[in-house]
Amino acid sequence: MTVELLSANHGAALAATLAARANRFGRGFCSGVYPITPSTECMEYLCQQKIEKGRVVRVESEHSAMGVCIGAASAGARTFTATSSNGLAYMVENCVAAACLRLPVVLAVANRTLGPPWNIWADHSDALTLRDHGLIQFYCADNQELFDTVLCAFRLAEDRRVMMPAMVNMEGFILSHTVAQTQIPEQAQVDDFLPPTDIPHRLGDVPHTLGQIEIPHQTEMHRWQHHSAMLEVPRIYAEIQNEFEVIFGRRPADAVEAYRTEDAQTLIVSMGTIGATAERVVDRLRAEGQRVGALRVRLFRPLPVEAIRACYAGKQRIAVIDRNISLGLGGVLWSETRSLADAGAVVQNYMAGLGGGDVRPEHIVAMLADLEPRETAGAPSMMEAL
Amino acid sequence: MKYKYPADSSATAASIPLPVGLRLPLEVRVHGRGGQGGVTCAKLIAALFTEMGLHVQTFGDYGSERSGAPVQAYTRVDRFAIGNRNKVYRPNHLIVLDEGLMGTQILEGVAPGSLLLLNTDAGLDSYAGRFEHYRFGVIDATAIAREQGIGSSSVVIINTTILGAYARLLELPLTVLEKAYASLGLSGDLPAAQHAYERVRVCEPVRTNDGPGVSAPTAGPAAVGTIPGHSTDFPPNLRTGSWSNQAPVYGDHPAPCNLACPAGNDVVGFVQALKNNGAEAAAAILLRTQPLPSVCGRVCPAPCMQACNRQVFDGAVNIRSLERWIADHSALEPLPQTAAQPLRVAVVGGGPAGLSAAYQLALRGHAVTIYEAGPALGGVLRNGIPAFRLPPEALKRDVERILKLGVEARCNSRVDDLRRLRQDFDAVIVCVGFGQALDLKAEGESLDGVEQGLDFLDRIKRGGVALMGNVVVIGGGNTAIDCARSALRCGAASVKIVYRRSREDMPAIVEEIDDAEREGVQLHLHRQPVEFSGSGTVSAMVIAEVEPGPPDVSGRRRPLVTQRTSRLACDKVLLALGQKSELDLLPDGWTMREGRAFEGKRLLPVWFAGDCATGDGTVTHAIGNGRRAALAVLANPDAGPSEAPSRGAEPVAPGQIRFSHFDVAPPQTDRQFRPSALTFEEVNLGLAGPEEAGRCFSCGHCTKCDTCLISCPDGVIVRSEDGYRIDGDYCKGCSMCVAECPRSAMEMQEKNRQKVSA
Repeated sequence: MTVELLSANHGAALAATLAARANRFGRGFCSGVYPITPSTECMEYLCQQKIEKGRVVRVESEHSAMGVCIGAASAGARTFTATSSNGLAYMVENCVAAACLRLPVVLAVANRTLGPPWNIWADHSDALTLRDHGLIQFYCADNQELFDTVLCAFRLAEDRRVMMPAMVNMEGFILSHTVAQTQIPEQAQVDDFLPPTDIPHRLGDVPHTLGQIEIPHQTEMHRWQHHSAMLEVPRIYAEIQNEFEVIFGRRPADAVEAYRTEDAQTLIVSMGTIGATAERVVDRLRAEGQRVGALRVRLFRPLPVEAIRACYAGKQRIAVIDRNISLGLGGVLWSETRSLADAGAVVQNYMAGLGGGDVRPEHIVAMLADLEPRETAGAPSMMEAL
Repeated sequence: MKYKYPADSSATAASIPLPVGLRLPLEVRVHGRGGQGGVTCAKLIAALFTEMGLHVQTFGDYGSERSGAPVQAYTRVDRFAIGNRNKVYRPNHLIVLDEGLMGTQILEGVAPGSLLLLNTDAGLDSYAGRFEHYRFGVIDATAIAREQGIGSSSVVIINTTILGAYARLLELPLTVLEKAYASLGLSGDLPAAQHAYERVRVCEPVRTNDGPGVSAPTAGPAAVGTIPGHSTDFPPNLRTGSWSNQAPVYGDHPAPCNLACPAGNDVVGFVQALKNNGAEAAAAILLRTQPLPSVCGRVCPAPCMQACNRQVFDGAVNIRSLERWIADHSALEPLPQTAAQPLRVAVVGGGPAGLSAAYQLALRGHAVTIYEAGPALGGVLRNGIPAFRLPPEALKRDVERILKLGVEARCNSRVDDLRRLRQDFDAVIVCVGFGQALDLKAEGESLDGVEQGLDFLDRIKRGGVALMGNVVVIGGGNTAIDCARSALRCGAASVKIVYRRSREDMPAIVEEIDDAEREGVQLHLHRQPVEFSGSGTVSAMVIAEVEPGPPDVSGRRRPLVTQRTSRLACDKVLLALGQKSELDLLPDGWTMREGRAFEGKRLLPVWFAGDCATGDGTVTHAIGNGRRAALAVLANPDAGPSEAPSRGAEPVAPGQIRFSHFDVAPPQTDRQFRPSALTFEEVNLGLAGPEEAGRCFSCGHCTKCDTCLISCPDGVIVRSEDGYRIDGDYCKGCSMCVAECPRSAMEMQEKNRQKVSA
């Protein structure tokens, strides 16, 4: 184990590299890559690595980047790529294909808002376009968590009971370009954690087709199988956390990270780095005697409904902060979790930090000041964070 | 944030002790401009603190702008893993990489007593009283880094330099800095850092109790649910131009055609004038240097076209025919100026060199008399180039334009006594051309029917020449081709050219060789006559095969005559082997050196120009040479040898032209007159129009195409009356305009260089 100063982009690429090398006794590694700000550093780092039985293919578009991963995974390789924003939007067709073909591609996304008008900074609107299409989605809050989650994502995606793509999200610049100390395991540890990739339906000696035409009954069955597999993910992830802890000596973050929530009356719910800011606010307000807790949803697909419901239970006031907006409705996390709160609880939505606005503790304090006097929830509101 | 990764497990073992008085947590904010290395500076600071066993976090506040835009970067340092994901609003240390960023907002959130380190070329005294609430340090990191060659010419990278000054302010010993740079792999930049470490000047805070207070770090959050309307951008108040180390300037660079033109014509000038303002405007430029545009527009070998940068793109611009177009479609007749002290100059020889010298002198108001041995002016143009290539009217037009300037022409006046002429005139320019035609020195050369080609061409001009049978022309130059094509027109049954080298080695204009072959002339290459035979009149020749030997001084392979021979029947042989370059006009006791006459060691006011002086052998060389001799006469009649052709600057190379700006458009070729029977009517009818001028790249010469204006990322280039104006207050020196200029009409120049090591 060494400690390196790495950006999250580089951390993701290094985790992918270690995972790639771990498959040297299996069917190798392949990655199709195409640059886009702010994920470019990730693919650049990956391109510079020497990977035994590995190939990083620079292609002409994000669509083809995922296409390479689909082809390589179909042949049984471990696969990874990285993108952002409109690049992800362009990749979507093949992301859906990878999901429906049940191929365990790991996709790191440096979240950036969708243009035009062009804005290179962070919000979750890019990744959320893939909410409904059978990709596992994690949202991370710091460098180490991102590194660990990429390793877990390979293990989870390639688990026979799961067998589907996994996205690991880091907010562009706020996390992707932040450099911090990161603990890097030895290759042997990663080898122990990640057994050789084994894709049961890969193309092999017996010719068969993938993704051929099917009738309604088959589609219904495929969707149901996929959905059922997704529902298993929280339980399987918990198993993986345990194995990770045994091998690496530290426990990767939970699917839902609860911070000082047990006796809290008020809850601040968010995804990504805003969750880290919320925890600082909790500490500050707790010092003033307020019973506030924070909940950070790391695993967004599948949504860990039971874990969130358990945490919402007994809370009278819940502020859900969304770094996204589902236009015509409101924040996505809010709309998905508001029904999980107790009857009569005030679940108020605050959208903030769109297009990279810096959501500071002051913003969250102002949200809570808005929340406290409410008897019922109002319409989702947006807050400007410069 | 749960501190899952405690300091003792994840931080590196401390290799450097903590600086005395360092209070944690520490927040550092770096202000720089894009490209200066501000973000890396913050990372280096983080790396420095990592060496002390501390937790760090560092990140940039990125903009989407290009080089030069304001950039902030942050480093946090603590004993514990850092959970803060926000930007830094209340820095303990503020590092400003560029003085131009010292606006009113830069101290936002900075408490009195904080450390403020500024990169500036001004001393501490310049800031007296301004930052007395802060621990304030100044260093000229730009000058140090520039001198150490860190960064590029457009952007000097100062992060490693200013880190030296920062280390000094942290009171780290120099050895610590050395160790840190070694561990970061930056030992190459250590001298700059050491320099900054030694030179940084610090002013301790004098007043902290009555300080300005901490200004609010940006406005607090707006009330929930009140999204304000769109705000309007306003121009930045940062004069970004002060940051740049280089600036673009407009300036002509030599076009290859201009440098290649032996006559010294401003080729790119007249072609662009033709394109933009028509034939008269083009003629005004052309006639400055070119007295014979009708001639050169037809018979010039056009070295300009061989040098044309368009050659490697889609074919050279058809410059020769554009010159002809101008000559044929303008009626411009320049008027002579009045000379303050008119000279009387004699020009001996009315060929192209003499005409050019006379023209230049007469234009400037001097009295010129041309002495021509022949019956009319023109020299070889008159009697050596057949009418189907150069109609007499074309020559006449050019000659008359010259005579209208007041030049006196004395034809049928062979000069035998230069001594006397030199006494009668202020200066004499001798332009008598080549000497006698060369012969082959082969057996039987004196037989009837063996004739010098130049004599043959001269006879045709005088009329009444008819040929029959088989004609063989010996030689590979323009005279050989002219003889061959003329022989066909005089009735020869067949015409063969015998030449001792390859087709590529033939000095004749390529298009002329093509035309000759098209008309039926046969080439017998790698052959040389060794004997002529016949009873009285030539009837056959023996030709030997010639092998290419090793290259001679001209780079062409020396011909080696072999013993393998064959017989070739012929009724007429025309010799076109070139002419002697000896000058038999010099009086006893005179010598010619570098184009001047000397009597003993005494310099005489007698110049030589054209083929008799240089032997270059083309009209265009003769014109240039004649002009330069005339200018030498005017510069100072007693001066030394006349000027050498100026070939100082390098021409714009194809690599300096941005081909992507131009559409592929093959050259427009000349129209041809091809009657069923060959006549002496002009065969080349020139271009159908002047549109070919539009193909000119205008190498090195601005055409006001607006590419620079469009390419400028900061919009600081505007049109002005004489071209463009660059707003130096905001030009960041990114050099994009220079890189994008399609024709290399701009360049970058260094600015603001300071000397530091003295």
